[in-house]
Amino acid sequence: MNSASAIELNVLSANDYKSDYKPVWCPGCGDFGVLNAVAKALAALELAPENTAMVAGIGCSSRLAAYVNAYGLHGVHGRALPVATGLKVARPDLTVIAAGGDGDGFSIGGNHFLHACRRNVDFTYLVMDNSVYGMTKGQASPTTECDWTGSKLSPTGTHQPALKPLELALTAGAPFIARAFSNAPNELARIIAEAIAFPGFAFVQILSPCITYRPEQLAWKKRIHADLEPTADRREAMLTLLDDDGFGTGILYRAERSSWRGEHFNTIEPAQLAQAFEVNA
Amino acid sequence: MKPTENLGSFLAHAVVLEDEAAQRYDELAEAMRQHNNPEVTDLFERMAGYSRLHRAEATDLAERYAGGLPALKPWEFNWPGMESPESASMEGSHYLMTAHHALKLALGAERSAQAFYAGVAAAATTDRIRELATEFAEEEADHARQLIDWLERVPPPDPGWDEDLDPPVEVE
Repeated sequence: MNSASAIELNVLSANDYKSDYKPVWCPGCGDFGVLNAVAKALAALELAPENTAMVAGIGCSSRLAAYVNAYGLHGVHGRALPVATGLKVARPDLTVIAAGGDGDGFSIGGNHFLHACRRNVDFTYLVMDNSVYGMTKGQASPTTECDWTGSKLSPTGTHQPALKPLELALTAGAPFIARAFSNAPNELARIIAEAIAFPGFAFVQILSPCITYRPEQLAWKKRIHADLEPTADRREAMLTLLDDDGFGTGILYRAERSSWRGEHFNTIEPAQLAQAFEVNA
Repeated sequence: MKPTENLGSFLAHAVVLEDEAAQRYDELAEAMRQHNNPEVTDLFERMAGYSRLHRAEATDLAERYAGGLPALKPWEFNWPGMESPESASMEGSHYLMTAHHALKLALGAERSAQAFYAGVAAAATTDRIRELATEFAEEEADHARQLIDWLERVPPPDPGWDEDLDPPVEVE
């Protein structure tokens, strides 16, 4: 039991992990909940902002890096994962979190996602999934339902099955896989905290409604069921996903696997590297 | 940890409930400022101020409680819904919302807090928790009545209030 001042420190300091930049997301956007949950998770883990880095791609959700009080890089579209990989390998002492949306992560950066899962470098990847490209005004993304007709670019639907991120992550070898809901920020904070504490690549799909281009997603709140139970058995996890309606939340899969730290590669000083490229006259 | 478990847990819930209510109003106010809706920005800022006053009252009680408060992680609080009950619904906001909508949003939050405290009072394990929860429920009911009075002075907007001839975002 702690004093009231300890409560202040332990519970009410999440705001310290928000930067001075104010979000420009649409009022009602699910990404507000993600920002709150990230701040709560960082506070609960008592991570020092100067030892934490957030790397994001491009898109509405990728603005998250600017709103978190930590080192941040709002980088290149679809490239949050390779940047985060490089950062973590070069600076293993940092807590690294990559973030972005479903288009950034599964389309533009789709190939990086596969290899980040199998490479298993120790960082966390948060994907705020609203099944639409919001920043470019509402086009279908890889996780959009095949019969969504809300965009003039796909007026009769996409006629392509929606990508299933958790199945993909499991197949590609990610050792920590979870799904959460942005409008349940405390449970989301718990899952993010567990993902950060996990010693390996931790992938969290966050269902985060876009109220502007997908207002029907407001009904997600009624469809969420928090019943995913963590298992270390890939077969069991895959069987769970085969019966999944896309709205089960919790940690699906958590397995021990040595993370990749680049220790099998020789390192040299920059001067030596430069020497190797010198052209002899 | 349930708010009915002991007085420390109850007070921790009360402090965080008001703190998160204030933070949500701050977020809503800032979102309205970003979308040049000054009337509703001002209203949400006032609501945040009221929540901070209530938070100060709860904190004062907590600081005088000799038993100390448990250091709970955010997910260790036992709320009836997905977040603390007095947090106004973020998804219920709209960049063109009027003061009437904002007051209704706040009214929903106050009623939710009232129901929370009433539930705690009904399930209280000690007389002190029951006494405080009943008192807090009555306070929330009083806030709700004040908002209802306020709402009567702010009529609902005309149909089409959300039509924008120059929308900041448009489906292409």
